[in-house]
Amino acid sequence: MKFMPLRALARTLLKELGLALLLLLGVSFVVFIILYAAPGDPFSVLLEGQMPSEQALAGIRVALGAQQSWYGQYLSWLHNVLGGNFGTSVRTGMPVAGELIHVSLNTLYLTLGSMLVTLFIAVPIALYSSMRGHSVAISWPLTMLGYVFSALPVFWLAYIVIYVSVHGFGFFPLSSGMGDGWLYTLVPVLVLGLGSGTISEVIRYLREEMSRVMAEDYIRTARAKGASVWRHAFKEGLLLPVSEIFAAKIPFILGGAVIVEQIFNWPGMGRMAWQAAQDRDFPVIMGIALIAAIFVRLGSMIQRMVFTAVNPHGARD
Amino acid sequence: MKKYVQTTAAVSNFSSLPLYQRFSIPDLLYVGYGLLIVGLVLVSYVLGAFNLLPHDPQQINMELLMAPPGTAGHLLGTDFMGRDIQSRLILGIQAYFLPGLLAIFIALSGGIVLGVLAGYRRGYTETVITYFTNLVDSFPRLVLILLVIAAFKPDIYYIMMVMGVTGIPAVANAIAGKIRVLAQKNFIEAAIALGLRTRVIILKHILWYNCRALLIIQATLGMGEAILLETSLSYLGFGVQEPTPSWGNMVQSGANYFMQGNFWPSTAPALAILFTILGFNLLGDGLNNILEGKRSR
Repeated sequence: MKFMPLRALARTLLKELGLALLLLLGVSFVVFIILYAAPGDPFSVLLEGQMPSEQALAGIRVALGAQQSWYGQYLSWLHNVLGGNFGTSVRTGMPVAGELIHVSLNTLYLTLGSMLVTLFIAVPIALYSSMRGHSVAISWPLTMLGYVFSALPVFWLAYIVIYVSVHGFGFFPLSSGMGDGWLYTLVPVLVLGLGSGTISEVIRYLREEMSRVMAEDYIRTARAKGASVWRHAFKEGLLLPVSEIFAAKIPFILGGAVIVEQIFNWPGMGRMAWQAAQDRDFPVIMGIALIAAIFVRLGSMIQRMVFTAVNPHGARD
Repeated sequence: MKKYVQTTAAVSNFSSLPLYQRFSIPDLLYVGYGLLIVGLVLVSYVLGAFNLLPHDPQQINMELLMAPPGTAGHLLGTDFMGRDIQSRLILGIQAYFLPGLLAIFIALSGGIVLGVLAGYRRGYTETVITYFTNLVDSFPRLVLILLVIAAFKPDIYYIMMVMGVTGIPAVANAIAGKIRVLAQKNFIEAAIALGLRTRVIILKHILWYNCRALLIIQATLGMGEAILLETSLSYLGFGVQEPTPSWGNMVQSGANYFMQGNFWPSTAPALAILFTILGFNLLGDGLNNILEGKRSR
């Protein structure tokens, strides 16, 4: 690389970090407000099955520092969260923070892996049909296949894969963790990559962008002077769209992960969120929403960085 | 970032061509298939309202469990409780349709307001709206829904309200982008110069004449997403509850039998989901190509 635009990169990083912090503050506020507006006192969940007197309730409120106004509660909660204290799980009575880091890494592995699977399938198809897209006989079946995969319910796909691997290959792909060998972890990754419903959108977006770039003047010039068209088209035609769709699809794939984790017993954030929603386990689900939002913001930051690296001048506006 | 290049040449007008040349054949097929799926919604409501379903979808028949498709009287077979799958599939359409409409309504109306504000009024307003859309986009939809379920109750209408709110940014961004393009065109300038009221320009010239297609497309795609979400949540046990049939809880209740080799009770609703979402997506894309004057390959 001839000129590494370090200053532009640093400027973008700072700007995006500031924006991400601002947004995460908003996210924490929204999460708090939703749970604050929930019917019933959160402490009644804590004391379920007991019949506390009014006096005991008030005592608990004072002990937990909850007799403040709503913004007082928000600030003290935020203060705890910033210190890494996400509270204790209502169900297990354990601190949420340690568990959260563990499960979020599992989910990160699942999400990134499935995204790679999606790209491995989508990029060749998109490139092929943007280069040779005029032949209907080739591009139409591929497009149709993309549509079908994006409409496929992921839970049913998972059933088929489980059935086939049990009866066809004789192994049971329900893992209890990532230590069970890579083959076990590969099956859920493949299922989510194929069935998350993003493939057709990725194909369509990459193909549109690539076709647009191939029609640009500078590609015509490159072709005319005999330079490598691919090298010229790569940045704008593939790198940028891939990073854009990568950032845009993270929330969607995290949602798909809830279902896949549930089916494959994957010890990740989605499964934990499902469990927490059933138990009304507020601290857990608050923590998960925050971590998920951090993932989304990270993806968007990576996308902005790629954009700046490719086009340092364009990032200034 | 998208670069918009203003072309001086008028957009070519297909209207002088006969219908079959104006639109590509695949697009017409897509839209036709999509309309067929929309028609099934009407069929479901009519059959449900006039009690014309082949069987009572709740009726348990212990003598005829897991009947294969093609059994006499049960065209698509029965499930593990002997309930008629065909009737349950037809009734399952109602599980997604009205909640889905609610989600679309919220997403479109919120998206229109914010999109117009962001596109028409620059500066401070736009910054605030961009912050809001980014904020909503920071939540994975399913995680936000699980949060709301934990806080309130697992009700499909609550879920679809959240779905609607999380759908606002996409619509708002699309409309704001469109308005930014339109604002450079002469007719808006002319309308302002003629002294038309802002309300008229926005409602008539921008939204009605130029954003119709975009809104229809967003609505059909939104319905596809709503079905995916409704079935997923019913599958997870948070959406429509048994014994009311939803395609999601039908797949789930057939799961154990699927692993034993009885594929049909899970597969029938899964295929229904597949073909319905496919229908709405194709409808959206076909309409997009036709109304926006793009030729699909």
